[in-house]
Amino acid sequence: MEKTTLAFEIGTEELPAFDLHAATEQLPRLVSEALASARVPFDEVKAYSTPRRLIAIVEGVPERTEATVEQFRGPAAKIAFDAEGNPTKAAAGFARGKGVDVSALERRDEGGVEYVYAVKETPAADVAALLPEVLEGVIASISWPKSCRWGTTSQYFSRPVRWIVAMLGEVVVPVRFAGLEAGNETRGHRFLAPGPHAVAHADQLIDTLRNAYVVVTEQEREESIRAQVAEAEKACGLVAELPAKTLAEVVNLSEYPTVMVGEFDELFLAVPKEIIVDAMLVHQRYFPLFNADGSLANKFLITSNGNPEFEANIVDGNQRVVAARLYDAKFFYDEDLKAPLESYVEHLDEVVFQEKLGTTLAKTKRIVKLVEHLCAAAGLEGQEKADALRAAYLCKADLVTGAVVEFTSVQGIMGSYYAKAAGETDVVAGAIADHYRPRFSGDATPATRVGKAVAFADKLDTICGLFAVDQAPTGSSDPFALRRSALGIVAMLTGDEALQVELVPAIDASLAAYAADGIEFDAAAVREQVIEFFITRTKVMVRDGGSSADAIDAVLAAGVREPLEFVNRVHALEHARQEAPETFADLAIAYARANNLRDAALGCDYDESLLSEVEHALACAVVQAEGRVACALDADDYPEALAELAALRKPVDLFFEKVMVMDEDAALRENRLRILNRFVDVFARVADFGLLVK
Amino acid sequence: MSHAAKPDALSFQDIILTLQRYWADLGCVVLQPYDNEVGAGTNAPATTLRSLGPDTWRTCYVQGCRRPTDGRYGENPNRTQFYYQFQVLMKPSPDDIQELYLGSLRAIGIDTDKHDVRFVEDDWESPTLGAWGLGWEVWIDGMEVTQFTYFQQVGGFECSPVPVEIAYGLERLTMYIQGVDSMFDIVWSRGKDGLVFTYGDVYLENERQYSRYNFEVADTDFLFQEFNDREAECLRTLEAGLPLPAYDSVLKCCHAFNLLDARGVISATERMGYILRVRTIAKACCASYMEHVVGVKPEADSKEA
Repeated sequence: MEKTTLAFEIGTEELPAFDLHAATEQLPRLVSEALASARVPFDEVKAYSTPRRLIAIVEGVPERTEATVEQFRGPAAKIAFDAEGNPTKAAAGFARGKGVDVSALERRDEGGVEYVYAVKETPAADVAALLPEVLEGVIASISWPKSCRWGTTSQYFSRPVRWIVAMLGEVVVPVRFAGLEAGNETRGHRFLAPGPHAVAHADQLIDTLRNAYVVVTEQEREESIRAQVAEAEKACGLVAELPAKTLAEVVNLSEYPTVMVGEFDELFLAVPKEIIVDAMLVHQRYFPLFNADGSLANKFLITSNGNPEFEANIVDGNQRVVAARLYDAKFFYDEDLKAPLESYVEHLDEVVFQEKLGTTLAKTKRIVKLVEHLCAAAGLEGQEKADALRAAYLCKADLVTGAVVEFTSVQGIMGSYYAKAAGETDVVAGAIADHYRPRFSGDATPATRVGKAVAFADKLDTICGLFAVDQAPTGSSDPFALRRSALGIVAMLTGDEALQVELVPAIDASLAAYAADGIEFDAAAVREQVIEFFITRTKVMVRDGGSSADAIDAVLAAGVREPLEFVNRVHALEHARQEAPETFADLAIAYARANNLRDAALGCDYDESLLSEVEHALACAVVQAEGRVACALDADDYPEALAELAALRKPVDLFFEKVMVMDEDAALRENRLRILNRFVDVFARVADFGLLVK
Repeated sequence: MSHAAKPDALSFQDIILTLQRYWADLGCVVLQPYDNEVGAGTNAPATTLRSLGPDTWRTCYVQGCRRPTDGRYGENPNRTQFYYQFQVLMKPSPDDIQELYLGSLRAIGIDTDKHDVRFVEDDWESPTLGAWGLGWEVWIDGMEVTQFTYFQQVGGFECSPVPVEIAYGLERLTMYIQGVDSMFDIVWSRGKDGLVFTYGDVYLENERQYSRYNFEVADTDFLFQEFNDREAECLRTLEAGLPLPAYDSVLKCCHAFNLLDARGVISATERMGYILRVRTIAKACCASYMEHVVGVKPEADSKEA
């Protein structure tokens, strides 16, 4: 049968860059599935996209689908038909399920038993007739993060759809969507070759667009941009920074990208480069250029969608935009530098941290107190302690500086510049910049112990305060990002170069600082909630780190308050289990049995005189383990505690093998239960082994 | 780096007059600025309230916008606490609205073929109005000159049909057209006898005085009280079934809030609280408008979210 090409273009107003990328990735699958479910064969689906269009080109589409006969075996005839030979509900259901009439069911004998069969014949169909519904389904099935309605239509799409091209070979497929009907006219680049351009054959759609200044794939546009950037780098003798996110966006902000070089006044290089780079990348989607020594150059790269003939116009306009933005930045920066960073601290009393928790100045003072506690706990002394206290005092000061009010993303970084300008030490400046770290999952923790102490105190103060006024995160609502803050603290407690402090005393110190500020709350209840919150966050972190759920639950069941201890215990338990899988499997079974039989009412005081040899052996082992486990835990040696428990495997296995616990003699029975009670109790502080049973 | 205005470029007021003529020809009612403080043209009732309901509506108007925190004492060439938007609202959105918009740029002297005009995703959300829409900021050679939005919801109600809003930043656009680097150098008017008034002649003193007032002088106790009083007045007016005058109180609350913000007495958390309070009364006005003007009694659940 003769095959042809199907061309399908959804023409739109400008689609959001990242949503467009996601849709481009969905499109081949959606088209393939829609064709397959309509039994339309094809060779290959290729997707193309630009900000104004999504295109699927399907090659090797025949004119007609193939006729098919499908046979389905249903229930036995005696179930499908009643005594009078009428079809039962079972038969009707089966027929409906297969899409045939119940009267069309056939009976066939199979080795003496009769079954009903549904035979479904699908005749060959005109592909052209099937396609409108198929393609309309494709439009509707693209999923968008946000969908738009427009005009009087009730259909949704990422942005308004303005034209549709749908052609099977030379024939238009009358796809309808949102008041439009597909035709054979596409449109070119919005300004360079708007069209409309008639397409004679589906095979020609892509070439028609290429001739109309449309670079039709993300990949081609990216290659073109990279090549032009390389050329510009060479011409300027500079190196461009192309962050993946900005590049991905720029690729989908033009149909015909031209890279142009812009320039700004060198005097703006006096402004911290973070602000300039932020303004360029985030606000303008320019690529900044750097000198060989890594310093920022006063040139940048524009990726234009305009006519390259008018480069001078376009560059001039962009340069003026940059100048305006940098003027603003420099204005703030110069103003801010007129006073030392320290002088901004007192203005923090004009910024409320939280309605019920007072001002950011009050917060700053609590951070200082908490850092004092952390210094003592972690052994920071001398200059390190002095730096930590100073950084704590200054860490929020930049929030009231003009540059940060304007460019909020550079909070901390500006504080660090202002600190250096005011003669603070490098460590203090670094800690101010770092104290917002880690800012996202996977971000580094602050570089120095001083930075960690300030970051820790700031985050813990926020968590404790919001819990104290009943503003803990609920469901998806976590406006203060307390979960992320908690994970940050856990990372500083458990990661490399961890801050060697305990969390619970720090929580107590933080809550005490709030109490001293006159904030009223139920200290004991909040303390428990905060500890629980941290344990829950740690659990999530450990689980994401690949530890198994049963080990985590087993450790949690034994009660653990410190994230570091929690992490270490889970790792130790997993390690021990890996080293001796049989021992642990056995022990878990024995523990589970003992725990099931356990009768707390009987207590643990067994009568030694009633013990058999095997019972005695277990009792001795349990008593010995009690002492050693306690010692090991007191010494924070969890692996040793596990090893002690592992040593109980033999005596307890033997006990269950030789001893009939539920003896008819009540005295013997209860005595045995008392031993088991005591056996179970040994585990209590280590892990609930019952949860380790596979 | 100061450039004199291009002599052949339209004056500020000619740009306004041209845009008014252009959109008037497309069936828009040319309104005059709303006589109440608003933070954006969107907040004027001709947009907010008239976006609701099934009736066709087309309007365009200049709106002076107050954003107290943007004041720079007249020392920043690009930023002021008071500026003008040119607002277009068409309901339902016409199919060729992007072309119509580009036509308006050409009408005021921007040859769109010789520049890089782009529609860059910028979804709009107004937490205080319980409103959101999808659209773009329009860039000309990297300069954002217009917000272009298909309203999806206003006051928590689905917009049907969908209005499109086009909000031109008049000063930026004029700076671009006249080729000046400071807003205050914009030629506002040019008489036949050659007499020129600049934007600075008209507004520089305003910027100095209002910046001081907004940042240093405004009485915060008075403003907190005003916020509370206006909130109560809004609710009282709504009880009388009068969404239009009630909405004026919403605008007064918004402005009091913005001034308090400029005075630096509202924190991140408090901000949420105030926004919620404004949103509550704004949505109540929209609900009342739906009931008393559109004639649709809102269902209980549509008041949510």
